[in-house]
Amino acid sequence: MTISLAPSTREEAATAPPPDLKPAAGTGATRWRRWAPVVLVSPMAILAFIFIFLPAVLTFIGSWFTIPLAGGSWSFVGLDNYREIFSNGPVQRSIVNTVIYSLATIVPSLVLGLMMALAADSLTRGKALVRTLLFLPMTANMVAMAVVFTYIFDFRGGIANTLLGMIGAAPVNWLGSTDYSLLTVALVGIWRTASFTMMIFFAGLATVPGTMHEAARMEGISGWTRLVKITLPVMKPSVVFAVVMAIIQSVQAFDTVRVMTDGGPQYSSELIQTMAWRMGFQYFDLGAASALSFLMIAALLAVGLWQRRVLAGSGDK
Amino acid sequence: MRATIRIGKWLFLAAALVISFFPFYWMARTSVAGHDEVFSAEFSFLPESITFEAYARAWTDGALGNAMLVGLLVTFAILALQLLTCIPAAYVLAMHRRRWTGKLFGFVLLCLLIPGQVTMIPLFIGINQFRLGDTLAALILPFATSVLGTFMIRNQMMSIPRALMEASEMDGLGPVRTMISVVVPMAKPGIAAFSVYSIFVHWNDYMWPLLAARSPEIQTPPLALAIFQDAATGFDYPALAAGAAIVTVPIIIVFLVAQRHFVRGMSGTEITG
Repeated sequence: MTISLAPSTREEAATAPPPDLKPAAGTGATRWRRWAPVVLVSPMAILAFIFIFLPAVLTFIGSWFTIPLAGGSWSFVGLDNYREIFSNGPVQRSIVNTVIYSLATIVPSLVLGLMMALAADSLTRGKALVRTLLFLPMTANMVAMAVVFTYIFDFRGGIANTLLGMIGAAPVNWLGSTDYSLLTVALVGIWRTASFTMMIFFAGLATVPGTMHEAARMEGISGWTRLVKITLPVMKPSVVFAVVMAIIQSVQAFDTVRVMTDGGPQYSSELIQTMAWRMGFQYFDLGAASALSFLMIAALLAVGLWQRRVLAGSGDK
Repeated sequence: MRATIRIGKWLFLAAALVISFFPFYWMARTSVAGHDEVFSAEFSFLPESITFEAYARAWTDGALGNAMLVGLLVTFAILALQLLTCIPAAYVLAMHRRRWTGKLFGFVLLCLLIPGQVTMIPLFIGINQFRLGDTLAALILPFATSVLGTFMIRNQMMSIPRALMEASEMDGLGPVRTMISVVVPMAKPGIAAFSVYSIFVHWNDYMWPLLAARSPEIQTPPLALAIFQDAATGFDYPALAAGAAIVTVPIIIVFLVAQRHFVRGMSGTEITG
């Protein structure tokens, strides 16, 4: 991911490499200069290690044990937790659902976000207002909004079905049926994430020099080609950032699902995050919950590494 | 052909605006509608009568005043800690070259891929082991730094010419003074963008407070709202919508105030010029 931004790129581009300040230890001032970078990064590095990296490692370790919630000694159970989650129907369902949910939200959010950014950016007047309105979903508190959506998608009297009724379609049991519940929470996920990617693309479009576009237009290059061959490559950092944020957002679907469907009916909208929560803090099976959580971490790391290779292309490192 | 694309674009934009805005309208509409009307089968775009009693109910029953205070405290404590830890780290990662900076940045990217949602079990156990369970510290400490913040601010700092930093060091400014008076002012958009994002996330965070805060005194706004969708007492839609409106307004204000910087800093990285 974003390997093109790694320090080495810039260093090669720098005309004159700056002298690495490495004086032989002497006065306090020079010693400080030497150690300042270490001191300055330490708080971030130590806290990230304690609160992000270490818990991820502990999740992996915990997945091999039975863990009493109240504290006390762990007992080693080998692969039992993994066997348990892979033989458990609802857990399997949650894994499949998470894959579907991710694909169903990440890609449409990116496409719709880009389309909204392009449409808003092409306005001559009211650009800022339109942008602000389109960004509103990102400001929503999802616990609060999920409830508004619960109401909008209510089977009887909800506005979604009222609209369907107006065009003569049969009402859909958006939240209460196993066929539609995952789709409905995904729609809400797209509603939110697309507004965020819109903002990133919108900011990215501002970094594309207008002259570049003009020149291409003069050459008679069509709008689509301009977008694919000029605009997107020039704003590649924004594209990468939007992809990263879309993935992060899709992982944070917990709130929406928990409030709107709580994974139901019959686990049809259960995701790994809500399932791990349920196993850990409702069934008190922390070991199995750790195993499931670690699967999610492993999957994200795999996606991250793959994305890094794909997006970096034949780039550095 | 051109005209078709134009019309299509307008239709798309109009639809996007309606869909983005509608739930907010519906939230406002529900909050002022009477309890009976909310459950009537007839759909009407405008409420038949307007009453603000749901706001009073939301404020008192949900103890929203206290929740907002806690939310404010937690959100800004987190933001302050994050800026204090992320800015210096980003400065070093962007401006200094040591053997370990590349590796450290790799570590930041690695951590960026680990979602907080799946590390909650060790965090929960750890917080309780240190007897911090159900305290304000438990709500704040796990987010004292942010790898996303380090990443975003570093990327913004990459667009600052290194010569500027070298010149400042030549002038005898130490690394810290260089960071504060030269680098930070130029990285403002990135810092602002991250700050707004952090405020959004932590003001609205539901999952961790649900685990870490049990006492009513330290309930954050999302936890307070969840009271109105308690199955035992039945859904109180108007109060919930009113509460939602109360909780959302501060965030929208934050966004409107910081909007200009936010948009500039959002582009991902390296805006030249």
